Amino acid sequence: MSLSRRRFLLEGLRVTALVPGTALLGRGRGSVSAGERVLVVVQLTGGNDGLNTVVPHSQDAYYRLRPTLALSRSNLHALGGDHGLHPSLKELTPLHDEGRLTVVQGVGYPHPDRSHFRSLEIWHCADPEGVHRGTGWLGRMADQIVAAAPGAMPALHVGDEDLPLALMGRKVSAPSLNDERSLHLSELPGLEGERTNLLGEPAGTTGELAFLRAAARNAYDVSQRMERALERQRSATYPDLDLARKLRLIAKLVAGGFDTRIFLVTLGGFDTHARQAALHAALLEELARSLHAFQRDLAASGAGERVLTLVFSEFGRRAAENASRGTDHGAAAPVFLLGGPGNGGLLGSGPDLDRLSDGDVGFTTDFRALYTTIERDWMGLEPSSSVQAFDLGG
Amino acid sequence: MTDDFLEPWRPHAAEWDRAAAQHLFRRAGFGARPEELELALSEGLEATLARLFADRAAPELRASIQPLLPAGELELLQAWWMALILEGGAPLHERMTLVWHDHFATSNAKVDDVRLMHEQNELFRTRGLGDFRALLKSVARDPAMLRWLDGDSNRRGHANENFARELMELFAHGLGNYGERDVQEAARAFSGWGISGRTSVFRPEHHDAGEKTLFGRTGRFGCDEALDLVLEQPACARHVACVLLEAFVAPPEGAWIEELARVIREADWSIERALRILLASRLFFSPVARRARIAGPVELLAVAARSLGARIAPRRAAHLASEMGQALFRPPSVKGWDGGRAWIHSGSWIARHNALVELVSDGATEADLERFFDSAEPEELPASAIERLLPEGAGQTFTDALGSAVRNAHVVSGARTAVVALVLTSPEFQLF
Repeated sequence: MSLSRRRFLLEGLRVTALVPGTALLGRGRGSVSAGERVLVVVQLTGGNDGLNTVVPHSQDAYYRLRPTLALSRSNLHALGGDHGLHPSLKELTPLHDEGRLTVVQGVGYPHPDRSHFRSLEIWHCADPEGVHRGTGWLGRMADQIVAAAPGAMPALHVGDEDLPLALMGRKVSAPSLNDERSLHLSELPGLEGERTNLLGEPAGTTGELAFLRAAARNAYDVSQRMERALERQRSATYPDLDLARKLRLIAKLVAGGFDTRIFLVTLGGFDTHARQAALHAALLEELARSLHAFQRDLAASGAGERVLTLVFSEFGRRAAENASRGTDHGAAAPVFLLGGPGNGGLLGSGPDLDRLSDGDVGFTTDFRALYTTIERDWMGLEPSSSVQAFDLGG
Repeated sequence: MTDDFLEPWRPHAAEWDRAAAQHLFRRAGFGARPEELELALSEGLEATLARLFADRAAPELRASIQPLLPAGELELLQAWWMALILEGGAPLHERMTLVWHDHFATSNAKVDDVRLMHEQNELFRTRGLGDFRALLKSVARDPAMLRWLDGDSNRRGHANENFARELMELFAHGLGNYGERDVQEAARAFSGWGISGRTSVFRPEHHDAGEKTLFGRTGRFGCDEALDLVLEQPACARHVACVLLEAFVAPPEGAWIEELARVIREADWSIERALRILLASRLFFSPVARRARIAGPVELLAVAARSLGARIAPRRAAHLASEMGQALFRPPSVKGWDGGRAWIHSGSWIARHNALVELVSDGATEADLERFFDSAEPEELPASAIERLLPEGAGQTFTDALGSAVRNAHVVSGARTAVVALVLTSPEFQLF
């Protein structure tokens, strides 16, 4: 479908959704304008083993390359075709059945770099020509959002590690947040009325003062909405896991109407060079249980249709296991998308383990094609590379 | 503005008022305690400037970090610097130290050594008002900087261009004033410098002693020769002029940059001599410079606390500044803090509000606020707070809102707290 036609349909859907009740007819995606859509990026730091995440169980080579690490087909969750999800990803299967989980296989980039640092930098910057030096793809989107809405907080890093490069923009670097208490407004009793009046001061309607007043009004408004959202009894339950805790905070912010549209969280520990099986299973279980609870929470609060979650890792791992029952740094791997555009399912080309490139799964989809799709079609912003969008269907 | 904007400002007695004195203290330092402000008003501009340049940090306070360094805790170093900013007695030197920290932005996130961060901080404190050429040469060999921008892995045949590139792009010239070749050649000239223990060392065996061509000149340049060539480029003095104008005046205009760059070169690169001219100038005190900058978190907290005559625990202040987006020794990138409007978003506004409310309700005692208001009657509190905290004035709606807060308060101490909290958390107060 051509871009203009796709845009036309999205706009058209948005218009029809204004008629009461019609939003219920479809999936309702069109009822959300691009300006309200949210992107949550989950980074699996360390290099997630793609072959044991989305398993090509019909290829003999898989069992030959992985004598101790191969997963038995009977324990996998069928994705259709020749692939199955790791047993620990059980909680993603209902999302797959509902068409809310899209798996794009073989995502990577040319001339893969096996350094964690460098490969993360490549995914974060998405800038092989070096024209956007020092900025990341999420930061560049945040720059665009702020240009249109000064004083907004377009992007947020949830976690206590250093700010990932992806969130550095030319104009804004996203703040980091690890604790929702820091968004709670502490006001001296009885001053709300006076504060509102004071912010209505008409003198100084241009320049920095006007900017500060607008930002302050927005912040007080946002914090009130937050308080109300936090007071609401939430039915969703989250497992007691670090990633789940971070995603719960994001769900609260989104449901509360916080003005942030881009979130990044990380889950570390994927650098499984030795005794991988149990380690990897535990990490994937944390991922799946956290994502499941997050999606259910978003759906319950009515925000499900405006949140797209992208799960990526800086690289996959080598096709053959090593002598320590682990795997070493590899290249392309699958990427997960939850919610958002498309009807779910398995997209892209799966790995052909009889035709490896230098011992690795070669890339068939450039990650920047997914970025373009997200930047342009989901977020409604200018894409930062000229790589053609990946068609998610739907 | 005519072209005599760097000429000294010679105010009539009435022009050297609270607004002018506050402006000087907020820009050149971190605001004034009430008694410092009164002293400045009675002594006049010249004496106040002389005092600012002469002040030196209390030696005991400055040395107090030594026994704490072995702990390796960044929070202690942050608290120590906040204490110097709040109470150190040398506000201009601390201000300049913060300007250079933002300019040569180095983060402990990568350096990961509190002693090295402390050493770099002392370099900015001792050399920050001196010869910029000497400062730049010290920064190029500063161990924290060598680690931060990979100078210690820049070796002959394995050039690491990180420092050379940031030097030209951010520290000395600005984009568009150098070529890719200049970056590569300068990196070769810097090769061989590394760290041994916590000391910077030159290892001749790792130095590329070959011929380099830099800015059209060819020679077997080493670190200092390359830096001399960097300093000789006209872009360099202009770049330093921009740094000073942004930090002390307002977003710079072309004519100001040219004129201040000329002053810097004539002052033989002495930052102190250039600043003595800038901070006494008509430009500095002109309307275009007044309340033209959105205050950064550290200055905001320090100015608020000092203006009230209130005390805040330095460690708490450093923590609050981090919450507001300015963690000392942890700038977000080598670009430093973006500053200006980038300080402000919904999350950081809430953090500012909370920090300033905490300062009023926990930091300032009833006695502090009583002294601050100089036993003003309740109905005088709004005008008094505006005079002391917003000397450029505030609009009628603003003043009426303060009056309403006073009437709603049951006791006069509550009225004082309410008025101060409203003023400090107002958009007006964020503009210095």
